[in-house]
Amino acid sequence: MNLTRNPALVEQLAASYALGTLRGGARRRFEALARTHASVRAAALIWQGRMASVAELQQQAAPSPAVWKRIENLVNADKQARAMQAARQAPAATGGWWASLGLWRGATAAGAMAAVVAVVTGLNLNTALNGQVEQLSARLAATPEIRYVAVLADDKSAPSVLVTYDPKHSQLQLKHVGQFHPSPDKSLQLWALPQAGGPRSLGVLGDGTVVRLPAGSDAVNQVPALAISLEPKGGVPAGSGPSGPVLFKGALLQTTL
Amino acid sequence: MPFMNAESPDSHLIALIDRVALADESALRELYELTSSKLYGVAVRVVSNRSWAEDVLQEAFLNIWRIAGDYKATLSPPMAWMCLIVRSRGLDFLRRRTSERADAGLELDDVLSDTVEGDSPNPMDTALAGEQAWALHQCLSQLDNKQREVVSLAYMRDLSHGELAEQLKLPLGTVKTWIRRGLEQLRGCMARFA
Repeated sequence: MNLTRNPALVEQLAASYALGTLRGGARRRFEALARTHASVRAAALIWQGRMASVAELQQQAAPSPAVWKRIENLVNADKQARAMQAARQAPAATGGWWASLGLWRGATAAGAMAAVVAVVTGLNLNTALNGQVEQLSARLAATPEIRYVAVLADDKSAPSVLVTYDPKHSQLQLKHVGQFHPSPDKSLQLWALPQAGGPRSLGVLGDGTVVRLPAGSDAVNQVPALAISLEPKGGVPAGSGPSGPVLFKGALLQTTL
Repeated sequence: MPFMNAESPDSHLIALIDRVALADESALRELYELTSSKLYGVAVRVVSNRSWAEDVLQEAFLNIWRIAGDYKATLSPPMAWMCLIVRSRGLDFLRRRTSERADAGLELDDVLSDTVEGDSPNPMDTALAGEQAWALHQCLSQLDNKQREVVSLAYMRDLSHGELAEQLKLPLGTVKTWIRRGLEQLRGCMARFA
């Protein structure tokens, strides 16, 4: 599109996009352009950063002292909830002084939290504790972390598949939220749509409402969008691109804010 | 240039956020003491009601407490990151209110109505502002008060041309023109800081 040869117009659109006043079809066209043109994308990001500074220039005002008190209470409750959850997930200790202390049975959530902190900071206590700490650590490690999320929509913009990426377990999880199921002789295949180059297969979806696919961070980092195509049973041969229609697609978003 | 020395406010804030990520409550407390006035100002601006803004500030800090570990992955200056969290929580708050009470959409505040009407410059505040915010401050200062105000409101409340016109009781064409001219001027000015 020759818009990209008009840097002043790109800048103007990027500024309106970041401000939020570029709406509707114009906004969607700009977003599509940004996904395919690095210069447009760069302008949009620069302007988003600039506009964020508008917030930094607002006048100050003093909140009532009660606000900190409320935050403090919530933070404490949050810490306790995390600690209690960690404690519940830890298996019952098989006797010994550790069990008899009854720490996990809710004597003090703060004690449990201290154990969690010990895991995090790698403090060496004693060997009896270490066994528990390792187990607790494994439980914490088993909790998924969500780095990316995408809602793939069909051609009518109806959300159909929810995708999340857990970098800790190098795993993509797909959840069908729409009604679509392929016929028995077909398979659904997930694709990364990178900024440069053709679609890269992320795997063929198995049956079931929830599907898990292994994927290294490299496979999803810097990938702006995902798509699902309808393919022959088992998917297309490795190395080739999608052969069937794209049923669902959507932007892959990093879960920062 | 402000804040270029090693012990800049930015690096201090970043160190605090890193400690909050390790569940250090005293770091959260210090972060709150340093930034709550600025962030409360942001919240007041977004939701335009002091008591709602306190709820928003509270949610934002709980949010910061939970996601401080994500800060590392962003390229934003620390104040910009926190301001964005407050703005997002503020916009969420307004959306929730609007969906809960259909008539709540137009509770117009006096904070808002006297800003664009009057010629008072509604001074910008550069306390704690990062370097990019200083540049923006320079450029916004060159706009008409009205243009600056409309641009600022559009961003802070995520308003469309139509919503701005409605809230400010201005003709749609006027709003569009002010924003277009404001952005054009900003573009020219900010290019010098690129």
